[in-house]
Amino acid sequence: MANAASTCAHFAALLTDISSASAESPLEKYTSVISWNAHRSQTTRPTKRRKTAAPTCGTCDIALSRPLACLHCPYTGCWKDSHLRQHLISSSHQFGVEAKTGYVFCSECDDFIYNAKLEEIYLTTVVSTEEKLTKFKVSQKPRETYKAWTPSEKDLAALEDAESISCQGRRGLLNLGQTCFLNAVLQCLVHNPLLRNYFLSDKHNSKTCKVENCSCCEMDRLFAEIYSDDPAPYGPITFLATTWKASSSELSGYAQQDAHEFFMSTLNQIHLTSRGFTNVSCNCVMHSTFAGQLQSDVKCERCGNVTSTVDPMLDISLELKSKNGEINSSDNTLAACLRRYTLPEKLGQKEYSCVKCGKAAHEASKRLSIKKLPPVLSFQFKRFEHRTNDKSTAHKIEANIRFPATINMKPYSTLALQNSNGPAASTGYMGPDALYEYDLFAVICHEGAIDNGHYTNFARFEDEWYLFNDEKVTHSTLGACLASSAYMCFYVKRHLDYKPYMTPSYILARENEAAREKELEREKEREKEREKELEHAKEAARMKELEDDLLATV
Amino acid sequence: MPAQDINALYAEIRKRMIETGEWNQIRAVLAAKLSETGWTDDLKHKSKESARHMDPLSFQALLDEASPRAYTSLPLAVKREITSLIRQILERQFE
Repeated sequence: MANAASTCAHFAALLTDISSASAESPLEKYTSVISWNAHRSQTTRPTKRRKTAAPTCGTCDIALSRPLACLHCPYTGCWKDSHLRQHLISSSHQFGVEAKTGYVFCSECDDFIYNAKLEEIYLTTVVSTEEKLTKFKVSQKPRETYKAWTPSEKDLAALEDAESISCQGRRGLLNLGQTCFLNAVLQCLVHNPLLRNYFLSDKHNSKTCKVENCSCCEMDRLFAEIYSDDPAPYGPITFLATTWKASSSELSGYAQQDAHEFFMSTLNQIHLTSRGFTNVSCNCVMHSTFAGQLQSDVKCERCGNVTSTVDPMLDISLELKSKNGEINSSDNTLAACLRRYTLPEKLGQKEYSCVKCGKAAHEASKRLSIKKLPPVLSFQFKRFEHRTNDKSTAHKIEANIRFPATINMKPYSTLALQNSNGPAASTGYMGPDALYEYDLFAVICHEGAIDNGHYTNFARFEDEWYLFNDEKVTHSTLGACLASSAYMCFYVKRHLDYKPYMTPSYILARENEAAREKELEREKEREKEREKELEHAKEAARMKELEDDLLATV
Repeated sequence: MPAQDINALYAEIRKRMIETGEWNQIRAVLAAKLSETGWTDDLKHKSKESARHMDPLSFQALLDEASPRAYTSLPLAVKREITSLIRQILERQFE
């Protein structure tokens, strides 16, 4: 019978049979096939000499690019012309697996099946294989192994007393008066997997935080409201009020604001009200989620000397018009915008003087690339052009930009750029592709004129797409989302690369302070002891003198 | 060239390309180009919506339904670019 955990009763039966030896080897075979494919797909460049022989189909002998393997014997085969199916039937073997996706085919069901346990094994095997093959570029340390969370005794005790509520996780936001820009940005933050995990695990508890006008607390309260059992739309009044108090006068008041401006301002506010935030290399929730690094290489065309500078970045703003001020309608894609962004640009004569060949007014070119990719990438399409500083002469670029559901950021990374500069500059293996693969999870759309328009947003929740229009939340589709007039897009990295845990600097500082105070106390004690001894010594000396005097008179 | 020999030649070239990694290189370029034209997302969207209302749901049925549309909607420009890439690589092999 089909249920949430498994669509195939036969595989479920195999799993419950784990005590017997018959269950062990198909699962072992499964794991080794997945691991083999994950390993071999991490090649760098094609070589002239062949590395290893390709698996061939047991039925038609052809070399397989997408092998399917039987889980009960060494047979591998094509999907085409039912080669695998026929093998399974003729050998009375039940299950086969497609090496790349890990999808299992059941010959009894005569279909690919879903099983929750298989999904788990697939993900852990692939991630584990990738981890072994990734080394951090700077520290040269291997990637931290992912460990699933297991509840401690304390956690279990707390969970026992906890009351579970039924909640949707999807809740509309009331428009408080031209605040659709606020609602769109908030929904995109709420559906951000990293922020959701952070706030739902109580990392910033608004009930115990002592900071005044704390935006981080407002975010915590927002999550509590979204994940409450109240389905009615919620009015983010306190969030708005805190924003007004915290920011400059420009963002206060009921006028329509630019969603991107509000997004950046909110990021900053939450950063400033996070525990232990720093001005450099901050690891607050916002920086951990959105912060990347942009590298700018300026090359002197005369002597070839390259000066590189690295700047932090929280998002990427993309121009829609090319250098000559026109929009190329055949090339209106996110990838095209990124290519434009990372294209070398000639610098004006007076802008650069080379340190190496020392002459001013040279030909130089500048090139941007992404040195460090953040876990969440936000893109803004620069649709609003201000011809002068006067906001009233601004106009909106309506051109439709096509963006994908998944994007590979490798071609825009600094490593890839360096590798393309020839084998001498090559830095070698760039890590598994999964570290460059990003999946779309939210889109902010804008309709209408520049100051009289309306913001809505799409967001992905449990693999389904929803349209959020202030208080109205409706089930939608990927197609509808991709066809919308996007202003901002949010992508999340497919597999996160973890570093070993480091105690946050503010905790270290606190511990150092405490240690110093203790030292000071001990010093004081020692001083007191010494003084006492000095007193004793003086007393003893005086007594001795007295005695001597007395003796002298006898 | 007789059909048998063409098949044998194809099998040999295919084997070589898979083993040197050129096959995957071409596949990666193709995947990136198709994704940029929106072909991949369109296929995913239409298949998902089709699967939502399919009863009984079966992979082969989805594949049979999606395949003809997928082939006919392949952008011509991508076809041309990939064909020429394959030609380049084959010419390198026969040098």
